[in-house]
Amino acid sequence: MDAGRHPLIEIVTGAEVIGCEGEAGDFRVRIRQSPRYVRADRCVACGQCVDVCPQVGGNEFDVGLKARKAIYRPFPQSVPAAYVIDRAACLNKTMLMCENCVRACDVDAIDFDMRPAERELRVGSILVAVGFQEFDARRLGNYGYGRFPNVITSLELERMLNASGVTRGHVVRPSDRRTPRRIVFVQCVGARGEGGRPYCSRFCCMNAVKDSMLVRQHDPAVEEVTILYTDLRAFGKGYDDFVQRSREQASAKYVRGRPAKIERAAEDDHLVVFVEDTLGHRQERIPADLVVLSVAAAPNDGALELARILGIETDPYGFIARHDPAISAVESTRAGIFVCGSAVGPQVIPDCVAQASAAAARAQLFLADQRADERKAPVEALDVSGPPRVGVLVCHCGVNIAGVLDVEDLVRQAAALPDVVVARDHIFACSAAGQDELVELVREHKLNRVVIAACTPRTHEPVFRETCARIGLNPYLLEMVNVRDQCSWVHARQPAAAQEKARALIRMGAARARHLEPLQAGEMPMTRAALVVGGGIAGIQAATDLAAQGFPVTLVEKTDRLGGRLAAPNLTYLYPNLRPAAEVLERKIEVLRRSGARVLLNTEVDQIAGFVGNFEVCLRGNAQRPRAPAGGTRTPHDPAPQEPLKVGAIILAFGADLYDPTGEHGYGTLPNVVTSQDLERNGIAAGGVTSRIHEAESAIPKSAAFILCVGSRDPEGFTGCSRYCCATAIKQAMLLCRRGIDTTIFYRDIRTISTGAEEMYRQARGMGVLFVRIPPDEKPEVVGRERATAVRCFDELLGRRIEVPVDLVVLSVGMRPRQPDTDWFHDTLKASVGLDGFFLERHPELAPVETAVEGVLLAGTVQGPKDIVDTVAQASAAAAKASVYLAYDTVRLDPAVAVVDEDKCRGCGTCVEICQFRAPQLVENTAGAEPGRYGTSGEAGGYTAKINASLCKGCGTCASWCPSGAITARHFTDRQVHAMIDAACAVAAGAPPAEEERVGP
Amino acid sequence: MSTWDPNIVVFACNWCSYAGADTAGVARLQHQPHFRMIRVMCSGRIQPGFVLRAFEKGADGVLVSGCHFGDCHYVFGNERAVEQFEKTRNVVRLLGLEEGRLRLEWISAAEGKRFAEVIDEFTDQVRALGPSPLAGERAGAAAHA
Ligand code: FES
Repeated sequence: MDAGRHPLIEIVTGAEVIGCEGEAGDFRVRIRQSPRYVRADRCVACGQCVDVCPQVGGNEFDVGLKARKAIYRPFPQSVPAAYVIDRAACLNKTMLMCENCVRACDVDAIDFDMRPAERELRVGSILVAVGFQEFDARRLGNYGYGRFPNVITSLELERMLNASGVTRGHVVRPSDRRTPRRIVFVQCVGARGEGGRPYCSRFCCMNAVKDSMLVRQHDPAVEEVTILYTDLRAFGKGYDDFVQRSREQASAKYVRGRPAKIERAAEDDHLVVFVEDTLGHRQERIPADLVVLSVAAAPNDGALELARILGIETDPYGFIARHDPAISAVESTRAGIFVCGSAVGPQVIPDCVAQASAAAARAQLFLADQRADERKAPVEALDVSGPPRVGVLVCHCGVNIAGVLDVEDLVRQAAALPDVVVARDHIFACSAAGQDELVELVREHKLNRVVIAACTPRTHEPVFRETCARIGLNPYLLEMVNVRDQCSWVHARQPAAAQEKARALIRMGAARARHLEPLQAGEMPMTRAALVVGGGIAGIQAATDLAAQGFPVTLVEKTDRLGGRLAAPNLTYLYPNLRPAAEVLERKIEVLRRSGARVLLNTEVDQIAGFVGNFEVCLRGNAQRPRAPAGGTRTPHDPAPQEPLKVGAIILAFGADLYDPTGEHGYGTLPNVVTSQDLERNGIAAGGVTSRIHEAESAIPKSAAFILCVGSRDPEGFTGCSRYCCATAIKQAMLLCRRGIDTTIFYRDIRTISTGAEEMYRQARGMGVLFVRIPPDEKPEVVGRERATAVRCFDELLGRRIEVPVDLVVLSVGMRPRQPDTDWFHDTLKASVGLDGFFLERHPELAPVETAVEGVLLAGTVQGPKDIVDTVAQASAAAAKASVYLAYDTVRLDPAVAVVDEDKCRGCGTCVEICQFRAPQLVENTAGAEPGRYGTSGEAGGYTAKINASLCKGCGTCASWCPSGAITARHFTDRQVHAMIDAACAVAAGAPPAEEERVGP
Repeated sequence: MSTWDPNIVVFACNWCSYAGADTAGVARLQHQPHFRMIRVMCSGRIQPGFVLRAFEKGADGVLVSGCHFGDCHYVFGNERAVEQFEKTRNVVRLLGLEEGRLRLEWISAAEGKRFAEVIDEFTDQVRALGPSPLAGERAGAAAHA
């Protein structure tokens, strides 16, 4: 929706790329656009054409479970909102013309003369975001998909669960549309070795867990849900907690195993799933009414052809290849062409979104001097002072509103409301003609308030606001009344009551409109420079991306060198392709140097004040001094800081700590128990010795054991998954194995989720690395007094206790929030941290690199554990978001925020406490100021709250909490809401509607 | 009119519950029409005074709705809303109104169906309670105003 409205985004639907010439910075791309036969600029998405279309066919979006007409809207939120005609299904191609839709359309949007069009686009960079398609489960004949109607895919289930979908949220068996009692989910269908695809699809585990919960919540008739899995890959932030909740609610039974086949019972539609329960060590025949296949993501059919045209490479499966799978997040194999999301392989949504921003950041490098200013020249403001003059426009929306409601009656009623000077109707208020009518009304009747009774403000308020702004009417003087989505559409069966409701809604809207106030968007100067905290791979990437766009960037690193975890000796080789870390890092640092970013080593942040656009940062040289406590002043011994640095945005990229396992599994006491990090540092790859004792004996161990999830997935500590450790342990195990060391990995679930990692896992098994699955609630025991000699545990797959003799134990340690930095920045910037102690992103899917604090962004493991590629993607995404702030020399401030009436404020600090965005602050009163109404406010020593408009998000919570009523939530003021309440109740209680409080001064 | 229909005021946050009602609309999920919706940006804005005013002006029932926990567009606004709601409920009790006239529900933008169900259920519940005792008082008072 946002993209659809953006002035700098042109969306070309129904288009394909047919040619590409040129190079990075100057591509010429030829596209062919197939006609939609509906003019998107005219269509108002009223749906009248659909009602008259005689052709009913299959519907791709509802995966064949529901029919659609030949003229249709692909799905309810589609952009553009216009309809499309499926010419293959349409009747209008023979001599016998149908043309029902042409006749039904009131805005002449249907145009059968449209032809495919070709055009050439000149662009600096290209982003490939073609996504994936479902693996075709028909290819696995033993599951019976396509033969048995009650075997469905996860996508089909998803459509059923959607409240606006085919079955309105009910799960049914396709064979008889009855609620299934027993549902079985089959995981990894077409993934991890099945159907010839070795990779993991990443999203299916969580999807099945989520769906199992939804199904059970939805329909008590569903008695049993079973999930057949191999490893539960709940690797994302908070995912393990989610699985835990599902286990607690017993919403699903988990059985580890892959079905051999699925059969249909002879007598009825029941299915039987044949599976070996590899933990229970039994052959099971699980009866099911419905089987859901969690199908893997497969490359899009067109991806290969697209790659050929663009001149980029694909991987062996047909996904778009990354330049280097160990480090590139969004680079394709060709300069200037970037790739994001599932086009490179299956992804979960947060990673897709981060990659998308990352790709946008990189793409900008080829457009740097073409940034356009989307802001428009100001229009002279209309004078809106004086008593309210309200105009009401009621929309028919074709028959969508007028088919149920008596619009004429609504107009008549509206015209009689207090302060309403004119009321009209229009067939489509949002069409160009409708907007013109609105402009006319405002001019002719000197309106200073406008009420539009039409559809939802959530989609159309921006449209009408823009029209208001165009003629200089303050956009906050517009009120929308939703008589379509929330009235005619949902009360069609009770037209009289619907009419009553519509009248009330309009009355309420008009009452509120009388109290609306013009609001001016404020502006604050933006310091177009950024600070990056931390010089690891995340900081390096973020600083490089920003500097390359020409923004002044300062990167501060606390130690004496760049590289963080990637720097020697912390890491030697990177998975999956064993690229030497040093080489990769060197290249990255070289690019950073060339980008022009200022790098300060041995430097820490000492103080930060200010807010988005205007942060003031004091830095100090790192002379092993403890940092001043948050919010406090520096100790007098500190060297005088350099000039405070002024920046508009701050990127936190200081990384995470590794878990310290001292005291666990003999770490710290037994000399041959080491961590994964020790192993790297001891030069594992270069053939170096592997533990202190082996060093002393100058021997190499004969056997080694890896224990995974040390300090991760721990109900007492960090409950999440650290994401990087499975693949790292496998990489290390392979290196040991190559040197003839017998290697065993003790794991709970193998979560090889990154590109190439699943293949590495298979390769390790092939080499002879042993994998022992242990129960989640039991830690393996390391045996030995002087040194570790064996690992004892319960082997889930064998079903008994085992003891594996070992000469070396490696603990794969998880990640922890880096301290004290996390606490310090949390206190200082007030950016929230989550329950796991890592910084909290503003929204996991929609804003994965932003914090709730404007101008403060997250890159890499400060936000939670992740591996190098994901870190790099996030760093670029953070740079992209920072550049959005830095692109302008001012910040626009939304005026619909909270403001304090200083005369009423008693300085109690309630607002300061409840605000998540640190917008209100108590300011000490200066002596001699006029005392406020309650005395305290104006007195010296007292406090007054001030709300910083650049931090306030306008939720209005503080206004509802202020005990002295000193805070006004603009645009949702008490008066405005009260007016609506009164109007809502007025007629119902028999009060004369005209008796209302007077408006204005 | 043969049956009496209640008058219900619904407060909804912009991002979830109001959007959920729109979703119900897009899916044409029919539900009872006796409520009037007031949109605010966040459920945290819904102060006791709003709810009490609605009752005072004659509403027979009031529904307060917002995002599910963890979904609030402003992080914790809905948790603040719960605290406000508790206060409101106490006053409503003191006023001698039945508790069933006031309800708090979390409805997400996707839950159009749930929105419709909640409305139907709540409407039936309030209808069963009959006209609010305050509705009559208010009507009487208005005549003197
Ligand atoms: S935005 Fe919905 S409750 Fe806060």
